[in-house]
Amino acid sequence: MGLERLLQIDRRILYLLIALGTLIPILLPIGFPVSTTRPTERFFEKIESLGPDDVVLASFDYGPTTAPENAPMAEAILRHCFTRRIKVVVIALFPLGGVTMAGQELDLIRAEYPALREGEDYAFLGYKDGAQAAMKQMGVDFAAVFPADHAGRPLGELPLMTRVRNYDDIALIVSLSTNVIAEYWVNLVNAQFRTPVAVGATAVSAPKYYAYLDAGQMLGLLGGVKGASEYERLLLDGYPELRPMYRKPGVYNAMKGMDAQTIDHAIIMLFILLGNVAFFQMRRRAGRGGDASGGAART
Amino acid sequence: MFWKVRLPLLLTALVGLVPIVTFFLTDRVPLIGPAVPFVRDRVERYMIIIAGFALLLGVVNVLQGNLRRIERRLPGWPFAISLLAGLLVMGVFGILSAFRVGPFQGLLATPDGRATPFYWMTIHMFNPLQAAMFSLLAFYIASAAFRSFRVRNVEATILLTAAFVVMLGRTPLGEYVLAWIPGGERWVPRLTDWIMAVPNTAAQRGVIIGAALGAASLSLRVILGIERSYLGLKGE
Repeated sequence: MGLERLLQIDRRILYLLIALGTLIPILLPIGFPVSTTRPTERFFEKIESLGPDDVVLASFDYGPTTAPENAPMAEAILRHCFTRRIKVVVIALFPLGGVTMAGQELDLIRAEYPALREGEDYAFLGYKDGAQAAMKQMGVDFAAVFPADHAGRPLGELPLMTRVRNYDDIALIVSLSTNVIAEYWVNLVNAQFRTPVAVGATAVSAPKYYAYLDAGQMLGLLGGVKGASEYERLLLDGYPELRPMYRKPGVYNAMKGMDAQTIDHAIIMLFILLGNVAFFQMRRRAGRGGDASGGAART
Repeated sequence: MFWKVRLPLLLTALVGLVPIVTFFLTDRVPLIGPAVPFVRDRVERYMIIIAGFALLLGVVNVLQGNLRRIERRLPGWPFAISLLAGLLVMGVFGILSAFRVGPFQGLLATPDGRATPFYWMTIHMFNPLQAAMFSLLAFYIASAAFRSFRVRNVEATILLTAAFVVMLGRTPLGEYVLAWIPGGERWVPRLTDWIMAVPNTAAQRGVIIGAALGAASLSLRVILGIERSYLGLKGE
């Protein structure tokens, strides 16, 4: 029998291994090396090319479900922008927690940059429903969609927003997205208004954005924890003074997440490999036409 | 007939045509030019308001479904009570916070850093529950991959090979497996990039173009009044 018994393994053992493979590397980081890919490098280079006169629109299009993937992206991009003194306008278009994610990330990063002034260096406009409709209207006038910021201050009272009327005043749109909203930024806003768009997507939705990336409709892409960790590495290589922010104990970042992902991928690949060896053993024994399903249906 | 069918069809056609027509027109078009941006902006603002009503529709739907479940003591009815309690509490606190009534000053932390009741519930209840639900996927995916990824035929072998390469290439493991060959540490990451940039992009493009053509044809059917199922009219 040997390996064939593996096919009948209690799924709870696999669950336990995945739980340990996730928990241990996050609590005790291994520090696997992170190599970068071109879509991430292009994203980073675009922000590197911007300066204090430029405005980045950061759209928080994700909720707590995908925060372990999207939040490190948001933190690295906000740190990059604020270190370069680039102005940032923050909005949220995702209904299930987008605005709280944006608020949390801004609170975290704002504490690291005490010189930042709300309304001048950045503006937080809050949440608006109806993603596509809001995006189209922002192409005409931001104030029509967000008459006031999240604290209720009229846009006209924010020095930064007196400079930003519509997409013509935005140098780059960054969508940190868990679902289809990033696609709207690409095929609606970039297509109609020509504003450059870069996307930080979850790993599961990243493959579809390669088509837009290849077509030039998107200038950069961060795919899941891997993309976020690549951005963190580029950021730390370019700005070593930010290293203490990524070395704080008890604070999650994508490089720690990448350790967990590496271990979990290794566990899954090992089980798939062993499962297939056992499957072949069973099939050989059963002969052609024999039953060698190996309990494939249960998950 | 007019109120239930013709008027909704007319409104749908008008509202559907405005974004299309105004996209191709500018305010320099003779006669109707000045009206173009006015009509376009109005319709786009109305769209944002209408999108808000879609949320309200969702709330009504959840209420109806779960009240019925509780009333009829259908399986899982205690969970329906918990769901409605959550909806009620978060909804009431959210509305009070949004309109800044009494102590409910805003949806997020107050300027002095204190969490409003709504924000506190969001951070300590909503966010962890949402994250916990989604995190279960990792366990199910691991178990499903182990039990289902079998080299049964050519297609399954191609799929498994591609999945294996991408899983390796998306982690530092991809650099280690062939590191014993000079220059081999870049092979798996490069193959991963190629899979993502070429076969994946080709397939995604096909899906995107297909979906876009489908959406365009369905939109045209709705605007022209051929597709009427959204009015509750079947086969008319």
